Parts: sequence; structure tokens; C-alpha cells
Amino acid sequence: MSNRFGLPDLGVGIGLRTVHYGHIVDAWPQVDWFEILSDNYMHTAGRPLHFADAVAARYPVALHGVALSIGSTDPIDRAYLAELRALRDRTRARWVSDHLCWTGVAGRNTHDLLPLPYTEETLRHVVDRVRFVQDFLGAPLALENPSTYVEFAGASMREWEFLARLAEEADCAILLDVNNVFVSARNHGFDPRAYLDAVPYDRVVQLHVAGHTDHGTHIIDSHIGPVDDDVWKLLGEAWRRAGGVSVLLEWDAEIPSFEETHAEALRARRFIGAAA
Amino acid sequence: MSRQIVEQGVLHERASATPEASRRPGRVGATAPVRGDHAAPGDASLRGRQQWFATAVMTPESEPSPAGVDEVDRILTRGPRLCAMDRLEIYRRGYHARLVECLADDYPVLRHALGEDDFDGLCRVYIATHPSDGPSLNYYGRRMAALLRSAAAPAPLPRGFAADLAALEWAVVEVIHAPSSGPLTLEGLGHVPAEAWPGARLVANTAARLLRFEYPVNRYFQAVRNGEAPRVPEAAASATVVYRSGPTLWRMDLTPPMHDALAGLVAGETLEEALSRAEAGFVGLSEEEVGRRVMGWFEEWVSSGLFSGVLPARDR
Repeated sequence: MSNRFGLPDLGVGIGLRTVHYGHIVDAWPQVDWFEILSDNYMHTAGRPLHFADAVAARYPVALHGVALSIGSTDPIDRAYLAELRALRDRTRARWVSDHLCWTGVAGRNTHDLLPLPYTEETLRHVVDRVRFVQDFLGAPLALENPSTYVEFAGASMREWEFLARLAEEADCAILLDVNNVFVSARNHGFDPRAYLDAVPYDRVVQLHVAGHTDHGTHIIDSHIGPVDDDVWKLLGEAWRRAGGVSVLLEWDAEIPSFEETHAEALRARRFIGAAA
Repeated sequence: MSRQIVEQGVLHERASATPEASRRPGRVGATAPVRGDHAAPGDASLRGRQQWFATAVMTPESEPSPAGVDEVDRILTRGPRLCAMDRLEIYRRGYHARLVECLADDYPVLRHALGEDDFDGLCRVYIATHPSDGPSLNYYGRRMAALLRSAAAPAPLPRGFAADLAALEWAVVEVIHAPSSGPLTLEGLGHVPAEAWPGARLVANTAARLLRFEYPVNRYFQAVRNGEAPRVPEAAASATVVYRSGPTLWRMDLTPPMHDALAGLVAGETLEEALSRAEAGFVGLSEEEVGRRVMGWFEEWVSSGLFSGVLPARDR
């Protein structure tokens, strides 16, 4: 247990996806852990919770969200936080994560992970909101570095500096997505290892890997297909620097069978030096 | 009376992945500007930048970017291989593609009926007319049937058919997310004393939706699910109940007398009132045959999980 929050290394897991529900509840396959997309199990009182309960009863789980909108200048949605906390308690999730981004403003929601201008104003704003959310949840929030396709001309720091300062000043955790590091590095022309060098690894509680789509002029974080070898190498490097940490594969488009998805996730073991 | 299962899959899954646009958008009449202050490009505050960005992203793809190239170059950076405007446009495509995907998940049979291009065009009208105002996409598509009945939607199909189909598919979504009350069983009914039956009322499963249509859309829905390519049917009144029992969703067609009886029970009529109403709908059958049929429906509805409890007359 190497992170400062005492959160466990759960091993190599995969994201819980609806197309795999049938297989999971029929076979109860051996899986280290599942990441549950919290927003799919909120604002519902129906069938999604049936499966979340079943999975959480048998596997360790963590919650991963896309709608917290921690960087928005709209007021924090307390009803959303209350429902998130209830889901966390219901599933006994080990931790809760979301993205360093904003999703909407002025009451409108784009449902996208939009980029922030990395300025001192933004840093103060997000630090305050992360502290509020952590107080509300009574637990550290893990924030994930997003894939981005554009940066703001008025930024005063790069994302890795912003993330490190945010984590320090808000005392929050980090979900480091090495595929997102790779995607943003190509889209903005920086060295992904410069990013990895700046990460405070004692705050990293989880690593993400995923496939992406290379369009030549830019890369889209499509979560489709197997993980690129260069991304696996970044995973291995980040995992070693963190001294062992939970790993999670995201596969969200053209999702193959459970077995194929899980086998792809388990490739991580080759790169993190764990036993196969 | 037969019922059909609804295959799983209609839950649209949120993820952090960026969707990719696959179709060329057609002309969309309405726009969806971000409410509140104007997104002034000179406002370099965080809020100003967010309003500016959101306006650019939410403007229909068929329209020019609301921000000019020079303005975008001042606010955003160019990349190694793309100019700032092209980078911003990735977000505009992603915004629309994500919501089209969401609506396609909610309305797979409507999509089949319309075809890819017309469905995509309909979605873009929907997105421009109804921008999302909440954190969840679970209920984003709830206004589709109403839009299809209005003049705002394109109408390559009879409006009544398209709207009925959308209403059926939206009932499926609602039933997925509605709480399901535990089923009443025939054994449970056995505890009701015989003399209490006429005045007893049933409590409907909260995850059930009873629908009447101008078109036989459930039959069309099932044909598409069976992999067939059905023609758009002629108008003909139909009724369907969509409900969930545990994790499994079901659809069941109802004849007009069945619909009337079930609607009465769901509305809180006593068993005597609802079943008498159904019996009145039969013509030319003996009283014994009518009673046998009505009790047959009733037993099937109970055993299917359409009810969750019974309230004896004395409790009313």
C-alpha cells in the first residue's frame, strides 16, 4: 500500500459494461475488481442497480464518474453529490473518481469532458470545489487527467503542473490515465514522459489504460480496440513509480466478449512485472 | 395472450471515451445558445471562457462556427498538425455524436424505421430543440414522441406511427429505470377472503407502463427485433403494456377489452368494477365463457408480475 490515502492495490480490473452483464451473472468470472461508471447507476431506481448490487456483492468495486463537472463555474450540484455518496455507500466502493474537466455551464450540459484553461484562477476555483466535494463525501476524491484536443492560449501552466498543484493544494487523489497522457501528448506535441515525471505518485490511487484512434493529424480517446504498446509501456513506468497500484482497462466502443476484454486487461501484468 | 422479452441493451452507457461523428449533418433550423450572459470573446475569466466554449460546441454542425478563425486563434492554441479551429471542432463533433448515440440507444427501432440519415437528422433537430440541462442522460430522450407529433420534426414517416413507436421505446427506457415493486403472487391472492374480492383493489407494479396507440407498433417493434424488415403498418388501434419483473423487461399486447380492464385496475378500480367493464366489451359470448376469459387474463397478469399487492375493501 504505497499511496498516502491507504487505498488498496486491487490488481487488474475492467470496467463493468452492460453487454457483459449476462456473462458476469452467469459465470461469476475471476476478476480482480470492477470499475462502475457511477453515472450509469445514478438517476435510476431500476435495473442498473440490480446489476450493480450483484457485482458489488462479489467483487471489489470503485466508482468512476463523468458528470461531476468539477471545473464548471456553475454551482456544485449537491443533489448529484448526495446520490453519488449514496451509490458509494450502497456498493461499498473503495474510492470515487471523476475527471479534471467541466461538462457544462449556465445550466446546460454537454456531457463531454471539456478542457480547462490552466491558470491560477482556475486552480483556485477547482481547489475550492474539490475540498467541498471531499468534505461532502467524507473521503478523498480521485481526479483523472482527461484526453484533450485543444489548449487555451492564456494558460499559465501545463496540465501536469496544474494536476500536481491541485492534488497538493486540495489534498486529493489522482487517477492517472496513461492513455490520456499519450493522446494529449500527441495532440499537443509534448513528451509523455515529461508528464509522468511531474506526477506526485504518492497521490496516485489508480491507473487507466484504453485503446485510442489515430487519425494522423490527431488522436481520439475512443476507448476502442486493444491498448497500444506505447501506452502499455507508459503504464509499466507509472505503475513502478507508484510502487504498485490498481490498474483498470476501459473498453467502450465495439466492445468484444467479456473473455476478450478481460484478456486484454490482463496483458497489463506483462508490463507491470506482476505474475501472469 | 403472449408476451415478448425486451433484449437488454437499451441502457445507454456513459463513458469517458470521445465518440466520433460518422455522418454529415443536415440543416437544422433551431440553435441552442448557452443561456445567461453572452459568451463575449473578450471575457477572459474562467466563466467567460466556458460560456464561449460551450456556445461553440453546442452550435449545430450545419451552421458556421459562431467564433471566427481569428477569435479562435486568440483564445485557443494550434496543435502540431491542426489549427485551433479544427481542434475546437473536434469537441463540436463529439458533443453532437454523443447525444445522437444516446438517442440511438433509446430508439433503435425508430432508427430502423427512419433509416440512418433521417434518424440522424431527427436527432439533430432534437438536440438543437432540447439541449441537455442535467447531469444524467438517462432521461435525455424523453421528449422524442412529443417532438415527432409536432411540426418541428421532419416527417418522412406518418407522424402518428413515428410518435407511437417513440412512445413505446420510451416506455421501455422508463421501465428500465423505474423502481420495481415485488410481485403479487397467486398464492398471495389466496389470503384474500372470498367476500372481500369484489371490493378489493390491486396495486400496480411501479415498473409498468400501459399504452394505447393509433398504430400496431408493438408488432412492428417485434418484427424488427426478429431481424425482419417490416413495412410501415396501416393505422389500427392497439394497446401494449411494458413492464419489468426483476431485471427482465416484457412487452405484452392487449386487446381493447383487456386494455380497459387493466387500465381500470391500474387506476384503482375495484376488481368488480374493472372486470365488469371488461365483460361488457364482449359480444355474442356466453356469460360463462366471458367470465372464464376474463379470469384467465387476470391470472396471467398476476403471474406475470403486473401487480405488487392487493388492498382489501376495508382498507379503502
